[in-house]
Amino acid sequence: MKRLLLIASLLFGIFAAFASPGENTPPAVTSDSPPLQRNYDDPGFRLGEAGLSPGERAGREIWYKATAGNDRFHTYVFQQRIGVLIDWFRVLNSKERDDRFRAWGLINDPECCQPGAENCPAKSLEETYGFDYCPGDAELLKYVGKSGYRDPACDFEDGALPAGDLHAQAKRQSSCDLAFGTSTGALGFRKFPNPRFDAEKWRKLNRGTASWDGYNTRLSASAGQSDARVSHLADASLEPPFRIGMACGACHIAFDPANPPQDPAHPQWQNIRGAVGNQYIRISEVMVSGMPQDSLEWQVFSHARPGASDTSAVPTDQVNNPGTINALINIKHRPTFEEVIVKWRKTNACAANESACWCEPGQDGKCWRKGEQKEKGIHHILKDGSDSTGAQEAIQRVYFNIGSCSEQCWVNHLTDLRQLDPNSRNFGQTPFDIGQCRRDCPNFRAIEDRLPNILDFLLSAEAHAADLHAARANELKAKDANARFDYNDLVEELEAEFGENAVARGRLVFAEKCASCHSSVPEAEAGPFKNRDFRAVSDKTGLRQDWLGNDQLIPASEVGTFHCRALHSNHMKGHVWEGFASETQRAKSIDGNLKENADGGRGYYRNVSLLNLWAHAPFLHNNALGPELCGKPKNKKNDFYRSPYVSAENNLLKAGAPECIAFDPSVQGRFDLYKASMHDLLNPRQRVPKITKLDHDIVLDIGPKLWDGSEEKKIFGFDLTVPQGRNSGLLGNFQHKPFLVDLVLAKTQPSLLETRMTKQLGEAEGRKLAGDMREVANEILADPKSMLDAIRKRPHLAAGIYSSCAADVENAGHRFGEDLPEPDKKALIAFLATL
Amino acid sequence: MQLRNILLWVFCSQLLGGCGWLVDKFASRPDITFAPYGAEYARKADFAELEYRYPLTPADLEKITPRYLAGLEQEQIDQIYARLSAGPIPDGAFEGDLFFARGASGKARLSEIAGGGLKGFAVNLKVRKLDLLGETLWKGKVFYRDQRVLRNRIEDLAVLAPVIDGPLADIPKITVGGRDAWLLFPAKLYCGQSLLDSRRESIIIDYAFTDEIEGYREQPDFLAGRRGFKVRDEIRMVRPGFYLGRAYLDRAFALNFTLYNEEIAKRDGSSFGKTGISAEDCWTGTQQRVVTAG
Repeated sequence: MKRLLLIASLLFGIFAAFASPGENTPPAVTSDSPPLQRNYDDPGFRLGEAGLSPGERAGREIWYKATAGNDRFHTYVFQQRIGVLIDWFRVLNSKERDDRFRAWGLINDPECCQPGAENCPAKSLEETYGFDYCPGDAELLKYVGKSGYRDPACDFEDGALPAGDLHAQAKRQSSCDLAFGTSTGALGFRKFPNPRFDAEKWRKLNRGTASWDGYNTRLSASAGQSDARVSHLADASLEPPFRIGMACGACHIAFDPANPPQDPAHPQWQNIRGAVGNQYIRISEVMVSGMPQDSLEWQVFSHARPGASDTSAVPTDQVNNPGTINALINIKHRPTFEEVIVKWRKTNACAANESACWCEPGQDGKCWRKGEQKEKGIHHILKDGSDSTGAQEAIQRVYFNIGSCSEQCWVNHLTDLRQLDPNSRNFGQTPFDIGQCRRDCPNFRAIEDRLPNILDFLLSAEAHAADLHAARANELKAKDANARFDYNDLVEELEAEFGENAVARGRLVFAEKCASCHSSVPEAEAGPFKNRDFRAVSDKTGLRQDWLGNDQLIPASEVGTFHCRALHSNHMKGHVWEGFASETQRAKSIDGNLKENADGGRGYYRNVSLLNLWAHAPFLHNNALGPELCGKPKNKKNDFYRSPYVSAENNLLKAGAPECIAFDPSVQGRFDLYKASMHDLLNPRQRVPKITKLDHDIVLDIGPKLWDGSEEKKIFGFDLTVPQGRNSGLLGNFQHKPFLVDLVLAKTQPSLLETRMTKQLGEAEGRKLAGDMREVANEILADPKSMLDAIRKRPHLAAGIYSSCAADVENAGHRFGEDLPEPDKKALIAFLATL
Repeated sequence: MQLRNILLWVFCSQLLGGCGWLVDKFASRPDITFAPYGAEYARKADFAELEYRYPLTPADLEKITPRYLAGLEQEQIDQIYARLSAGPIPDGAFEGDLFFARGASGKARLSEIAGGGLKGFAVNLKVRKLDLLGETLWKGKVFYRDQRVLRNRIEDLAVLAPVIDGPLADIPKITVGGRDAWLLFPAKLYCGQSLLDSRRESIIIDYAFTDEIEGYREQPDFLAGRRGFKVRDEIRMVRPGFYLGRAYLDRAFALNFTLYNEEIAKRDGSSFGKTGISAEDCWTGTQQRVVTAG
């Protein structure tokens, strides 16, 4: 019975983590239908199309608006299948529009307004269900609770595909399947009328339509009751008025470093750039906004810093590994490589009975063939070098990562954290088939048929570098149209601060100490770094020749930074994103300096670009190096900052921790942050170590409870508390499934466990660990509540063999330059500010 | 008997219960094709590919019976479930039957989990006892389609009496096939995500907010709700009047069940048998479902 209790305890959640009739796909409207009058106008957005080619313009609109159907993911799948609740009203309600950037880091859409505000067509929040009023809403709002909405994407105007594209003449998937909806008021976040919405039920629940007060409020105000952690967000029988989707722009649209807004809550279109990467977004908190802050999901999900995102949190690999949102600038000069790649490639015909070849029905010559080839021009996109099968494929994977085609293609291939049976589906990941997705998901085809245009946009002028001297010039011009400020003025200014000749000296220091990694133009190609003008402009592109990063894969142990991101495993063979990594990458040798399992090409970081470094602090792949940023919103319930500063003993500093710095996208704000971060970079001995800790106790309440009308009475079961102050990563990286299997083995077949462990770890350590597991099992059987203590007493288990990543200090490593003389450090800071 | 034991027993037997009579209503064993699979999770067929390569025809669906399903390995049941669509949200009373997951060894899957590490736990025997208890008490479900509500049919209240609030006479009753049953354990009904196969929605029977449904009584209904075992069922239609279901406890799979309404089966069965077409209330996904193409 005790054994059963042990299993039951585990099963019941110790490791718990994380149409209306006939409603279906809208009728297809082919993109070769005659151009239709757009059903709304967004002139501000269109201003940004000036100077773009038709392909770039088309790609831009997709980047900013297309959700490719992921509104279903963010309304149903994430909540019901994954089990994590999003409170979209908390994030997007119009009343807090002015606080939205400070709380969530989201960028307000300049063309939306608060209902009731002067000149806003909507006069009350009741009309918009509490959301902002945006272009297109006059039409959209008519369809809340009704079917028949015609998506604005149906009026999308395609751009031409490149002449050499094998499918250039083929008909593209209906643009309706790009699924634009209308803006929610935050750029990149789109809304769609929910045909299943029941207005009467909604009014009754929320006492009106202006808020989600009945939907998102906790059922009990009494902290001791389980209902204090429950709201109707968990009631999937209730349908909200809108389904919310995300475009790529949700994370990538950012304030223009060279032309930031006067007031971040009220930007204008000229302050916005589509591919810089939002350095302030708290996308993790957005995704768990409907969960209690003391839930396992909140505490483990929201460990990313502003501007960083754990892209393998939803398709979880149980590796706590947030990374910054890439700045996609000057891509034309980003290094590429020749790699062996297995993927689907466009072709015009398949041979009879060819199994790995598929032609789209009814489309002459629109076929794809899967095969292995050595291919040139391959980028290393993600931090660990994955997304290494081509630029277009990398864009394609982003759509998966933001939820598109989740139901049709990839959710069935995810790990279910509650599935503890190795012989049952979803015990672990399996790779999804891109060919199947192409066949079965129209949204996939709608994006795929336009990938060249999205790439066109990412190579366009909107995605070019923004230099500090240009930013300074813009600032001055805002005050005086005749003001001038050029590169020489910047050098003068920098040298006034960092010392005479600092920029020139800094160039030499950079050439000697940094350029071997942080230049994209090798010495073999362009001569010695010391003679190099790193700011030289290409005649062909008009962009700076040097991308300032070689994108080579470097062992994480060599650079020494927090290495969990390098252990990301979704791109490994047999894992969900298998189709998005090259065979070359997967064949990389294992870095013997890492203690963790780092097979399958893992354990590496690609180099990073230092382009516009002045505008992209804090540093490192996780934004951990430099001051901590925080929003300081007016609504303190949305103040998500948790100080990560720890003592030498890795305990949270109760006093003396540096203050966080409020979001400041101004030129001076970015430059100050850059200087402070550079100081930390070059003076590692002065860094205060950072470890993200749980900031609430996590209480796992196991067993049924009877409600007698005034209080809850637990019938049986127990509570487990993971106390605040523990390392968040320790929990997120804990491999509970192998742990459980071994725990059972320790009781049922101890010799088998010992044999396996001694083989894996050597005689002495294997025996010791097998013995530890037997003791843990005995202690849990004697008292299930003691489980956490039993594990805690043996930290080498949770932080060692059963951890996917044992790294803890997040701002460690990259100590290059620490021994430079102080004047050289200053010179380097000055020089890098010019790049 | 201690309260906790009574409640446990009631919960297991009532909500997860079943009735054996149903199996006798069906006869011939169909020849359903399954995609090849192995023991480990990574060796199961992708559902999209399964349906593409091995679609079920209306004739296949016509032959599937509760007895046949109860004799399958869990992976085979999963492969059938994935090839079904939700069909219409049912209306009226359905007879119920349940069966626990079986593995390749023929034993309950619970006895095989953790890579076989639990084989010594004799859970196979306990699962059979649970099955028997369920058959004795739980007789099926009643769907109130217009209200989007469901209630469970319980025939024998004698054993429940100690844990039921208030007078038994207050509990609503229903007569089905000449037999009276009490209606307990109310749940909400809606179209939602399948926890097995995301490619199309299932009909969800959700007990999380059972306390908001008219007629709720804390004891014993709380057992299924969010303060209890957090039960969530999902069903898909095999053919009109016949649904295959899956029960989850706090999102962990517990068992399979079937629901059958003879009247609906007779009324709509023959038309479905010819066309494979049925009303669909839920999102049917975007993968072409061959069975409905005739």
